[in-house]
Amino acid sequence: MKIVKKTLFYILASLVALQFLLPLIWMILSSFKIDEVIYRDIDTIFAFVPRFSDLSFDSYVELLGFYNIFKNVGNSLIYASVTVVVGLTINSLAGYALARFKFPFKDWILIFIIALMIVPIEATILPLFLVVNQMGLINTIPGYLLPFIINVMNIFLFRQHFLSFPGELIESGKIDGLSEVGCFFRIVMPSSLNMYITVGILTFLASWNDFLWPVMALSNADLMPIQVALNAVFADTYNIFTSHMMAALTIITIPIVILYIIFQKYIVEGSMQSGIK
Amino acid sequence: MKKFIKRFVKVRNTTEHFRHSEHYKTRDIVSAYGFLTPALILAILFIVLPIILAFTYGFTDYYLLKPNDKEFIGLENFKRMITDEVLIQSFKNTIKFVVFVVPLQLSMALGLALIVNKKVRGVGFFRTAYFSPAVLSLVVISILWTVMLNPTSGLINELLENVGISKQPFLSSASQAMYTIIAISAWSGCGYQMMIFLAGLKNIDGSLYEAADIDGANAFQKFLFITIPSIKPILMFLVITTTIQAFKLIVQPMVMTGGGPDYSTITILQYIYEYGFRHRNIGYASAITLVFTIFLVVISIIIKKLFIEEKAA
Repeated sequence: MKIVKKTLFYILASLVALQFLLPLIWMILSSFKIDEVIYRDIDTIFAFVPRFSDLSFDSYVELLGFYNIFKNVGNSLIYASVTVVVGLTINSLAGYALARFKFPFKDWILIFIIALMIVPIEATILPLFLVVNQMGLINTIPGYLLPFIINVMNIFLFRQHFLSFPGELIESGKIDGLSEVGCFFRIVMPSSLNMYITVGILTFLASWNDFLWPVMALSNADLMPIQVALNAVFADTYNIFTSHMMAALTIITIPIVILYIIFQKYIVEGSMQSGIK
Repeated sequence: MKKFIKRFVKVRNTTEHFRHSEHYKTRDIVSAYGFLTPALILAILFIVLPIILAFTYGFTDYYLLKPNDKEFIGLENFKRMITDEVLIQSFKNTIKFVVFVVPLQLSMALGLALIVNKKVRGVGFFRTAYFSPAVLSLVVISILWTVMLNPTSGLINELLENVGISKQPFLSSASQAMYTIIAISAWSGCGYQMMIFLAGLKNIDGSLYEAADIDGANAFQKFLFITIPSIKPILMFLVITTTIQAFKLIVQPMVMTGGGPDYSTITILQYIYEYGFRHRNIGYASAITLVFTIFLVVISIIIKKLFIEEKAA
């Protein structure tokens, strides 16, 4: 009885797993085939099971021959990294100030931050475009990055985190002659590393996946992040080979897979934290 | 409002232990404002200012290519919205997406979480498998599925033919396109929420189930009377976030269908994008932005209110 139950569980769980895995297996496998083979195999089991005699890197070589995908992947990696580094610094400094210091209008600023958390940012993307346009920053990297460097949710998360930061640590830093800024960068930041990694990784993923804002803010193909560039390639050349497309999709998925493998724990924890607040 | 103030006072009181004396120290003031200034400037420029602009331009006929020609036209834009058939269509489409995707995606996520919550060998593999689509970006998912759903030669249609079902148009049919987008969105998003459900399931006290076993409860009763109440806060949190997220649908239709066929998949956000960004008709698009933003804020307050009252009861 127990064995039957267990077997049933494994069969069910595996069938469900196939629903999620087969499209991805097909994507990766097809990227190593030529179109002729993809469509020859498509209604057979070999759409999902590799036959090594059919596999080659041809589609990758051809793709890179007409489109330098690494340029846009590189753009995305740089944009996401800058957003993480500058964003973490600015937002955590603000959160720290709201947690540690006593100053006039502090309560009002806190109300202001909490009120802004309710604004659905994507909904106001058009007037945001107008603001950046008015500043003459459309089609520039600062114009693209600055609006999403500020993140009021992260300010709030950092404030909550710093509320419980041991004040003695900061005092001892001051006795050692550190300034407030010095204390922050030399003591507070290093001892809150977990928090920074958690918020940082979520910021990185959000920036990497962002689509709508870069479509509006960057029209210069050399500046485009990969998500936008990929869509442009996909839409403009409808006759692009399936194998080339799958090669492109596979290439841009690799960095994120690596990130997930390294930071799995933080990603789940982070999304819980930002939810429960 | 009262609740908001009460909650705020609670937040404020937690800062109390930093207040050693009643007087501000100049050094603190200087440091605090120094630390806050970059964030405040960016927040005012890129969050507050856009809202103000939506308010002002919503009442004008501002056209981006003729910036000096804008005139105050009162409620004209808002009147136009009521009779704008494509806008009404996009509102209906968005509602349809929300109404279908939220229950579908959340029940899928909960089902998956229940599977991977079993303590058996190999469960880690299943967890990774179910989560794997969540790793892909929305653009990658949209392109991959568009290729796979090709009406003539796509993978899915070939598989359907193999089991004796005729080829389906999917994304190129006005009656199927939105349901296809709903299914793909649920498929790609549920792994992420499975993880959050799983964390909730792991926190349930095992002795509750043991007690139920003694009382002779069956699996369904245990699910209904122990599992669901125990994960209710997480469930409500996911309902709120998924609903708000679903209202802001745009990437999938933009990449997969461009809003078509016959406007069957155009969403509100996409309509704003088309009017304001592509056609440069800022006045009208700002008015829609304004209504949409207020709508979303109200929706999230309503759901949160339901949630808070449920919790108190």
